[in-house]
Amino acid sequence: MRLKQGSFLWYLYLDKVHCLLSVRNVKTLLEYFHLLDVHGKNTLNDVLFYHFLHHATDLNKTQINLVFDLLDWSAVGEIGFEQFYVLVCILLAHENHLEEQFMYRHSRTVFDLLDLNGDQIISPKNFGMYRFLFNIQKQELKDLFCDFDITGDHRLNYQEFKLYTIVRIDKLQKRQNKTEENAKRERSILCS
Amino acid sequence: MEEKPSKVSLKSSDRHGLDKESKERVCSDIRDLWTTATLSQSELNTPLSDVCLNFDAEGRSISQTRDWYGQGRRSLDEGDKASQKLRRSSSMEINQGKEDTASEIKAEKSSSRSSLDISKHIPHQAYWAEQQNRVPLPLMELMENEVLEILTEALWSYRLGIGRDHFLTKELRQYIEGLKKRRSKRLYVIEDALGSSRPEPAPCHAGSPDPSLTPSE
Repeated sequence: MRLKQGSFLWYLYLDKVHCLLSVRNVKTLLEYFHLLDVHGKNTLNDVLFYHFLHHATDLNKTQINLVFDLLDWSAVGEIGFEQFYVLVCILLAHENHLEEQFMYRHSRTVFDLLDLNGDQIISPKNFGMYRFLFNIQKQELKDLFCDFDITGDHRLNYQEFKLYTIVRIDKLQKRQNKTEENAKRERSILCS
Repeated sequence: MEEKPSKVSLKSSDRHGLDKESKERVCSDIRDLWTTATLSQSELNTPLSDVCLNFDAEGRSISQTRDWYGQGRRSLDEGDKASQKLRRSSSMEINQGKEDTASEIKAEKSSSRSSLDISKHIPHQAYWAEQQNRVPLPLMELMENEVLEILTEALWSYRLGIGRDHFLTKELRQYIEGLKKRRSKRLYVIEDALGSSRPEPAPCHAGSPDPSLTPSE
């Protein structure tokens, strides 16, 4: 999943610590949302939403419809600005390779999104449908349910999901530290 | 949607009275500079942190909070409070700044800056105060162009799905036309402004060559 270069969203960026947009970016995004709000209802219907995502990203029709269903929390067939903002943050996190930080920082929000049935658990099937949003590979998803399904019900509750996000970001930091150490070692070899 | 403009203090006299070291504290990310593009000119001794009143000296937003959309609203209020405090403090410094400015002007007479140039910057205060709450025109143009493309495609879907005569299709069509008119009006104003600001070419008379073009003997 990639943002199209030169599109409006491509110019926005997330704060790397909190994985959120700045106030200025939110204001700009709100202006953009209001430009798309053709019917003056402060919402986007499924057609407008589809064409927006089709224009701004390389998602296919099936994925766009899945994302719409994910965000249409009240099942009214429309997306408000709050949901739009969440989507933009997810897209930007993916674009800027901040998926781990985003899931760690906003684990509750992501969990509530993936909890499609509202029963406070995530099934492998539901998580699998949306793994493209968070850059999670198939095997990684299988390992996730193997390693973190502590209760053994083949589902993830919030505590298990949170633990997964903590471990994932820990692994990322170790990977980054290792890369830095290798780079330093190479530099010192070159200097000597 | 028009929001209440935050009270931003941008007295140009303060700019010239400020320490040059503070000039070095610039927002690190180039994308933070889109509201302050013209302030990057070397003639203006203005630290960007004074203009970007919602950002601290290191370019981080001072109005960040932890919640989602409500964060934006709360941070707007905090930004307003911060800008009010700055305005109060800067108003006290104006008189002092003015004296410093006069002494600086005398000291810098040999430079290209003149008192006339400085007085030109003062009216820009209102412009920058307004810009703090407005999306810059280039970004607005980009947004409108993109939205026009999206909505034009959506209009086709509306026509196929619910027909040409449905009120939603008509509403979308009218909206697109309104957006196009607004865009062409703005382009016309910009072209007009550019045309009027261009210097008139010197009238050339037939038979009398431009003395600068004749080779000197």
